[in-house]
Amino acid sequence: MTVTQDKYILKVEGLGVSYGNVVAVKNVGFSVLQGEIFGLLGPNGAGKTSTLSAIESLIKFKTGTIEVNGYDVQQKPLHARASMGVQLQSTSFQSELNVIQILQLFSGIYGVPMTKDKISQVLEEIGLADAGKKKFGQLSGGQQQRVSLVIATIHNPKLVLLDEPTTGLDPQSRRQLWERIEAIRDKGHSVLLTTHSMEEAEAVCDRIAIIDHGSVVAVDTPQALINRHKDDPEVIAVSRRGKVTLEDVFIALTGKTVRA
Amino acid sequence: METIVPKSSTVFATLFRADLATAVSNRRSVVISLLVPMIILITWKGLIKLIGGPAVLATSITIGLIAIGLMSYTLSIARDRDKGIFQRLRVAPVPTWAIMASRISIQMVMIIVLTLATFIIGYQYDGIALSAQGYILTFGVAILGGAVYLSLGQLIVGLIKNFETINATTRITYFLFIMVGMVGGIDSMNATVKKLVNFSPYGCVKMMLAGSMEASKWTSDTSTAVIVSIAYIVVFGGIGISKFKWNTK
Repeated sequence: MTVTQDKYILKVEGLGVSYGNVVAVKNVGFSVLQGEIFGLLGPNGAGKTSTLSAIESLIKFKTGTIEVNGYDVQQKPLHARASMGVQLQSTSFQSELNVIQILQLFSGIYGVPMTKDKISQVLEEIGLADAGKKKFGQLSGGQQQRVSLVIATIHNPKLVLLDEPTTGLDPQSRRQLWERIEAIRDKGHSVLLTTHSMEEAEAVCDRIAIIDHGSVVAVDTPQALINRHKDDPEVIAVSRRGKVTLEDVFIALTGKTVRA
Repeated sequence: METIVPKSSTVFATLFRADLATAVSNRRSVVISLLVPMIILITWKGLIKLIGGPAVLATSITIGLIAIGLMSYTLSIARDRDKGIFQRLRVAPVPTWAIMASRISIQMVMIIVLTLATFIIGYQYDGIALSAQGYILTFGVAILGGAVYLSLGQLIVGLIKNFETINATTRITYFLFIMVGMVGGIDSMNATVKKLVNFSPYGCVKMMLAGSMEASKWTSDTSTAVIVSIAYIVVFGGIGISKFKWNTK
């Protein structure tokens, strides 16, 4: 792991997002450093998706600033988007296009056209050498995630955003995806991922931010958060097996109430 | 290292290629848009002596343009929005105008194919021949008429988010236009109703097409139809674009 402490790739400061009278995000701030995997955790409706949408410059926000690779996402949205690769929660590509056509489309969009040989090589690397002519919908969930991840990194971006990338995957596919995410980090990219899996956050994230009710309630490494809160009465009260886990800390910080 | 944003022209060309491949793969939509006009062209052969060849051609092209604007364009936009395909494109360095321009360009290609196919089958099967000027002018008017229905389609996807509701609305509108066409053809119809029908999106396009095919048929009403059509495009397109949301949430 080669985290560059003094160089951030993503900087979010004082972010506020509202939908009409509903405040979704208020005064959120965090940074993602070069070469780290940063996890954004929170219960349903906590403001994770709104924060991600603001970073992706899909929504306009009223307060705060977001910089991706030094580009303000509101002033230079195309530069900011060109600096990041995104894997959305539900992978959505034209169902009529096959995998090769999808790769050609996105490599063209990102300005890195790929030859057929290069595409074959990429597909071979992700174990889909024979799937080039298949429609995206014909691939299994794990295969779809691999293709989506390739597309997210097709242009060698500084920042990769992964929105709940392992949802619905079997343990084997999930482990394989974790290794791929770590490989992205090891190449010097930064990764921002959202997840509901505390196991995943502990396993792959260098640092995490816990967000709740639109605000960041904690930012640190998973182990540091556990160490800091392991003696809190709320954490001990929710601990199930005598050993404090990240999930115990998460529940203690965000409450036991089930969110919609 | 400075981030390089791809040229808009390169992005547009890439999107256009992908959208064309999608349209070719989705043959059912293309066939429906072309089949109905061809059926009219063939089954109305007996009416040529009664209403004239250009009127038959104009009706065929008008019905085809409605199918392209309402069914092909509107449903493809609604479906891709529903599936989140636009969101996936928008998180890439793609200007939003390039996404829409590519989609509209595909429909323009379909309009050209439709018009050409109508001319060829009309000539081969029905023996309908126009002057060179008539063919050229009709091409231009077909594109203008296509723009009327595309803007109407844009209005529908701008005002309605739910895919199923859009699907139902386009089918009802398509049916309504065909009914309007039939009502407009009844001679005993009230003059006011006839005027409304003539200057409806259906009537305007049909009138412009008929006028473009035969210079002698171009009247002051046809010129008014051109102005009304442009107004439809501005109003429908303007509202449709301003109200359009890229996702269904």
